[in-house]
Amino acid sequence: MASPYLIYSLIFFLFPLLWAVYLAFTNWNLIAPDYEMVGLRNFIEAFFSESVRAAFLVTYKFMLMFVPIVIAGSLFLALIIHSLPRLKGLFSVGYFLPYLASGVASAIVVKGVLSYNSPFNAFLRRYLGLDIDWLGSPILAPLIIALMMAWKFMGYYALLFLSGLESIPKEVYEAAEMDGAVGWKRFWYVTLPMLYPSFYTVTILAVGLMFGIFTEPYVLTGGGPDYSTHTWQLEIYNQAFQKLNAGYGTTVAIINSVVTFVSILVFRKVLEKWGARHGWE
Amino acid sequence: MKKKGVTKLIAALLAVALVGTGCQGQDGNEGKNDKGGGANNVVEVDFWAAPNPTQQAFWKKMADNYMNEHKNVKIKVSPMPESPSSEAGIQSAIASGHAPVISENISRGFAAQLAANHAIVPLDEFKGFDELISKRQMKETIAKWKFADNHQYVLPVYSNAMLFGWRMDVLKELGYNAPPKTYSEVIELGKKLKKKYPDKFLWARADLVQPTWWARWFDFFMLYNAASNGNSFVKGNKFVADDEAGVKTLQFFHDLSKNDLLLTRKATDPFENATAIMVDLGPWTFPYWAEKFPEMKFNQNYVLSLPPVPDDVDPKNAKTFADTKGLVIYASATKEQQQAAFDFVKWVYSDANNDLAWFKQTNLPPARDDLSTNKAFASYLAANPQLKQYAENIPNAIPPVDNEKVVDIQELIGKEALNPVVKGQKTAEKAWKDMKNAINGVLK
Repeated sequence: MASPYLIYSLIFFLFPLLWAVYLAFTNWNLIAPDYEMVGLRNFIEAFFSESVRAAFLVTYKFMLMFVPIVIAGSLFLALIIHSLPRLKGLFSVGYFLPYLASGVASAIVVKGVLSYNSPFNAFLRRYLGLDIDWLGSPILAPLIIALMMAWKFMGYYALLFLSGLESIPKEVYEAAEMDGAVGWKRFWYVTLPMLYPSFYTVTILAVGLMFGIFTEPYVLTGGGPDYSTHTWQLEIYNQAFQKLNAGYGTTVAIINSVVTFVSILVFRKVLEKWGARHGWE
Repeated sequence: MKKKGVTKLIAALLAVALVGTGCQGQDGNEGKNDKGGGANNVVEVDFWAAPNPTQQAFWKKMADNYMNEHKNVKIKVSPMPESPSSEAGIQSAIASGHAPVISENISRGFAAQLAANHAIVPLDEFKGFDELISKRQMKETIAKWKFADNHQYVLPVYSNAMLFGWRMDVLKELGYNAPPKTYSEVIELGKKLKKKYPDKFLWARADLVQPTWWARWFDFFMLYNAASNGNSFVKGNKFVADDEAGVKTLQFFHDLSKNDLLLTRKATDPFENATAIMVDLGPWTFPYWAEKFPEMKFNQNYVLSLPPVPDDVDPKNAKTFADTKGLVIYASATKEQQQAAFDFVKWVYSDANNDLAWFKQTNLPPARDDLSTNKAFASYLAANPQLKQYAENIPNAIPPVDNEKVVDIQELIGKEALNPVVKGQKTAEKAWKDMKNAINGVLK
């Protein structure tokens, strides 16, 4: 029974992975018939590269912005949908729609709204005296990208929270009520702890997502200003397909995989420890 | 038992896969022979056209017409894959052994990368190359395309001699009847503009503060080519740029920035909305204007000009950047396929009417020396006067750098020179020196 999946994994995961590891030690440029083994040169170069360092730091910066926003936003949406007396399905689908929207299309819309001469900016300048360079500021540009991504994924993560909310037994709430936990207390001491499995899933998904950001910064900022939105995927794309450094690009991709793996492992451990302390083994 | 079952299944699948591969290998070989002209002597040519409907339609029609006259050739026109860019699509195709025989939409910079890796063949070694050049009247235009190894790897299909557009309506309000031609005239005009309209800018270009490599074609190289009389930037592996012209170009950007004449924020249609009164303009913009901004009328609210030059340079000799792409033939094809592809191209360009059809269909000026003088194009240019200046300036347009490190080189122009100068972080002299050192480091 396992063999079809085994064969599939061999062909589409293991062989490409081994091939990528091999390429990471070469200077292949994708089109040359010949290439050489360069040992650890690519890794050393990546270690000292300004753009790789930027990609590493920018990912955590995005994480700091995106993860709290998307968790708070999707939980809020889930609570609203959960409290609806009817049409829950319709609203769930409605909030899920941005997830299906093309990243390129939404980035182009955001670009238009934030452009210097958009009605929005013209209004800010004229009536509030605010002249803001939204995508030219190293602080605002990543925040805008994080907000865009949060908008896109909020509906999806809200569904995960919603299923968590729906699975909390009524008896738990009744028992809590008898102990005097109502309103805010009920939410804080009953609902939130009972949602731990959903929090766990959403946090791990959101953290993992941060290592694969490409479309939004590619369309909106190109990784600028001053590398403030330069992600791993942009770096890999630039190296492999713009500069034809496929060997080096693969090295960066391998480093990205390792960093992603370690980061998710750390987050998992922290979340599991926190869960265990609150009765979730 | 269970383990035995799994082993049997894997063995069966492997057997099927092996047999399948074996069959494919045989078919593959036969296919290859057929493509190269097998028993029935039909040569198959895969032609990748630019991924836009107009260019595909043109090449499809040309291929159909050619095949009607040449029954021994089968040309299959398809759009080049864009995953995530057309260059990346070609690279993947070469890497996986599925490159076409011929493709268009190749820039000189990318061709340099392909040529350096022997992925494309020199076109000047084909029988009939000189005849093609003389029949298409493109001797002068293609001369500038010669690579450092003295070969021609790309046949330019179109050449957009990049020009600047000027809002003539605003210029008239400021007392001008023609666009300024020298740096000091531009700055003077900018000062007048700011006095009358503090909210307007001379040039809106967000890329001036970004190191985006290809953006340098439409800002730095337009002005550098004009200032240096088209002096090369890099030749082979040597940085040969004109230092004096380079520093003057950067100083001009510095002066524009210092006088608050540049809008370096992303703006939507700033020229069309008259937020800025100057724009780097290619002919691909006109169909967009016809649809979205029908009020944009040539010689009424806008005019075109070559890039401005330093005060001590004669504006009449100004050169500009050529946004140009062309055809290449891939080394992975058989000799027979390569020759068939070349013969097809030669046939297409032996008739000026085909270039006229291209021009009408795509609005992109064919890369010919005689575009503004050949009678075949006269009526079309008369009906589209905004294209005339583009046609006239094809011989004045300098194609991009032909070095395989073009991306690094142009990224460094932005990072070390143009971006910091526009941001006021470096003087023109220091920026040029830093850029030169960095580029020399890449070229080593």
